[in-house]
Amino acid sequence: MRTATDLQADIGEILLTEAQLQGRIAELGAQVSADYADRTLTLVSVLKGSLPFMADLMRSIDRPLRIDLMEVSSYGGATTESSGLVRILKDLSSSIEGEDVLIVEDIIDTGLTLNYLVRYLRGKKPASLRICTLLDKPARRLVEIDVDYIGFTIPDQFVVGYGLDYGELYRNLRFVGVLRPEVYSTVG
Amino acid sequence: MTAPTSQPDSGERPAFAHASEAEMSRILDFYGVEWRYEPTTFPILWNLDGEVVESFSPDFYLPDFDLYLEMTTLKQTLVRKKNRKLRRLRELYPDIRIKLFYARDFRAMMLKYGRLALAESLSGTPGQLVGGELTAGVMTENRVAASAAGPRPVDGGEPGASEPSPSEPAANGVVPERPGTVVMSTTGSARREPRRRRRRGRRAGATTPAQPAPRAD
Repeated sequence: MRTATDLQADIGEILLTEAQLQGRIAELGAQVSADYADRTLTLVSVLKGSLPFMADLMRSIDRPLRIDLMEVSSYGGATTESSGLVRILKDLSSSIEGEDVLIVEDIIDTGLTLNYLVRYLRGKKPASLRICTLLDKPARRLVEIDVDYIGFTIPDQFVVGYGLDYGELYRNLRFVGVLRPEVYSTVG
Repeated sequence: MTAPTSQPDSGERPAFAHASEAEMSRILDFYGVEWRYEPTTFPILWNLDGEVVESFSPDFYLPDFDLYLEMTTLKQTLVRKKNRKLRRLRELYPDIRIKLFYARDFRAMMLKYGRLALAESLSGTPGQLVGGELTAGVMTENRVAASAAGPRPVDGGEPGASEPSPSEPAANGVVPERPGTVVMSTTGSARREPRRRRRRGRRAGATTPAQPAPRAD
């Protein structure tokens, strides 16, 4: 069984410290609070990577809010070969029709998943739909999406920690770090 | 100047020139992004008689985004050649939006989707990935930029987004639009690149070893 210490040894570089993350999330929370001053907000988090960000962001927003969770299948997963199409693994628990919705994402790179989600959620007729991401990796963008709140724009590196995984590991790290290439180069 | 020519959409699955293109088509299908394969041919060089001697057919067109996508998962010498053609395209057709998808981009995408073995398996095959150049591109930058205060849209001016140079692919394959001029060949020495050998893209992942679970972005 690998320990947290072992996982940290796989990190080549700490890109964002816990203090940097928390400081920026507090700023984002203040911005969101100001922008939704007179409205009740619904935060929709996309499992699993955005869980830590969702937990910290919602506590930094000083307004009434509801939360909901979604999960979609990712390309290459077990469901890919069966249908060849993205699937909603966990849908919203309640209607967002007429609600002000803010999608909470951990990272945006290609934009493919988010593009799908935005189209899906728009079909549920929210009053407004905006996007907040902790990390933005524009170098990997395939489809352009307007993102309303960005925590950090990061370079083109494979990052883990603070919810982000590789092989379902590293999510519990308190920082965002760059995974050593030899870690994934030796897999398989 | 000869106008670009477009192929009608036959509705059939095309015969992809490379396995990486077939994989990209499956990814786009998976996420419900409409695409067409090599729908348009852009003349980019003419001889003094006005005959087209070189043209460029981007691999994919995404109509919902009015975006062309060119897969450049080739070895470096061919990447340079494609960069030169792309530069010509940009000069001649400044309104065209096209994005280059380099070998390292493909590898990073496969890493994210837990299919790195697929990218590795394409190394060394004709017109496919070269492992050495891929690895070098992944871990080079070390910059993190906190966003400015207040909501803002993402655009090409974000830190980390840069224009690819002709000889060295940049991190971001977005080609900015520029005013262009039509340039005619004065020597007649321009060569048409041989038509890529068409073959059916092989079923990706059919023989690849187990990989970590994919990550949704």
